[in-house]
Amino acid sequence: MQLTPDDTIVFTILGIGINATVVNTWIIMALLVGASALVTRRLRPDVPPSRWRTALEVIVSGIVGQIAEVTQRRDPRILYFVGTLFLFIVTANLLMVVPGFDTPTASLSTTVALSISVLVAVPVFGIGSRGLGGYLKTYAEPSIIMLPFNVVSEASRGVSLAIRLYGNIMSGAVIAAILLSIAPFFFPVVMDMLGLLTGVIQAYIFAVLATVYISSATAVSDAADDNKDIPHD
Amino acid sequence: MSIDWITVGAQIGNFLVLVWLLKRFLYRPILDGIDAREREISTRMGEAARVEAAAEKQKAEYEARIEALQASRAETLEAAREAAEKERREMLAEARRKIDREQAERAAQRAEDARAYRAELQKTGAEALLSLTRKALTDLADETLESRIVARAVARLPEVADRLHGEPQYAVAVTRNPLPEDVRAGLRDALNRLAPGAQLSFETDETRSPGLSLKLGSVQIDWTISDYLEDLEAMLDKAMDDLPAGSARDDG
Repeated sequence: MQLTPDDTIVFTILGIGINATVVNTWIIMALLVGASALVTRRLRPDVPPSRWRTALEVIVSGIVGQIAEVTQRRDPRILYFVGTLFLFIVTANLLMVVPGFDTPTASLSTTVALSISVLVAVPVFGIGSRGLGGYLKTYAEPSIIMLPFNVVSEASRGVSLAIRLYGNIMSGAVIAAILLSIAPFFFPVVMDMLGLLTGVIQAYIFAVLATVYISSATAVSDAADDNKDIPHD
Repeated sequence: MSIDWITVGAQIGNFLVLVWLLKRFLYRPILDGIDAREREISTRMGEAARVEAAAEKQKAEYEARIEALQASRAETLEAAREAAEKERREMLAEARRKIDREQAERAAQRAEDARAYRAELQKTGAEALLSLTRKALTDLADETLESRIVARAVARLPEVADRLHGEPQYAVAVTRNPLPEDVRAGLRDALNRLAPGAQLSFETDETRSPGLSLKLGSVQIDWTISDYLEDLEAMLDKAMDDLPAGSARDDG
């Protein structure tokens, strides 16, 4: 039984095999960017928003609201990162029900990549907010003795994120595959519906955890710059 | 289950590209659109607030105008009421004055009617008295009224002799009707005895009471039936006053 789309080589470029994970990621990217570009083209404030634009505004406003609830501020940079995480994961998880489509989140490589992105983004946002010294000092708080534990804790976050998302998605796929072999006409539908719900929840959890990590990295700066919104860059 | 690090790197790259693309095609347009719409809504809200403020101001002005109009209306009504009350009082006063004037005129008319009636009654009574006296004197004593008056005057001439200062040169006898010649002669003889040489002339005056007025120089002596007529008038007045009130009103 094939458990990861990494093993499926779709085509080869310059001797490098492009597997289904990457190709399906491109498909998801094309869907997201294409739909966004299609809906947001020729936006005019004096024209009432269309149904699709309203839907996108609801989604974006919801993400902004969730981020604001966690970070207690409205930072567009966090929105770009966390919002993209959520949209990508939720789209990938929802496409899981498409027959023949191997969702990229079912690949440990994808979840590791996303976790690494979060692990890198946390110090980037923290250094951006506190400065390099201020951010590194957080590893020695409340005492220098805590330095190794904080480093391990930070590293375990990434592993935790990656394993959690991969495990949930893969477990759903594995369970669906097992049930499909047992009762092919009933369980797949139920499992797909359950997988949709689980996928959305997992996307939400992944995005919220990323937001929490970023927020904790920028917490001191937030206290100093309380109620100070960072403008759009 | 293994990790393909090439795929991991590709996915990280894909994710970063997706972040940039979504920022370019999703977040920025949507956020800018939301901000623009919020600004427009804010502008419209501000405009609405200005319009509302203007409407409130206009409402306050209209309310003030309405209050002023109501106050003016109340003042106008009060002034009209006072003017009507004043005109009513003036009309009542004028009506009372008119009634009083008409009552006074009617009273004066009644008094004038009463006076004329009394004068007429007095005249009629006097005429009747004269006629009866004449008739009685003629029937019972075979004399005229004028001869009896002159005889009475002649008999009383000595009583006034002490009022004459010296002998009068002229004397005038005034009667209502011309005296008979024999009566004139008797009066002339009596005057000659009282004032010898005095010239006596006779005059008539139809407006005078029946009788004789004799002017002797500066002295005038009257023997008329006015006293009798006054007694008759008093009797008539008493008789009229004794009439019942209803009869008097009916007559009036």
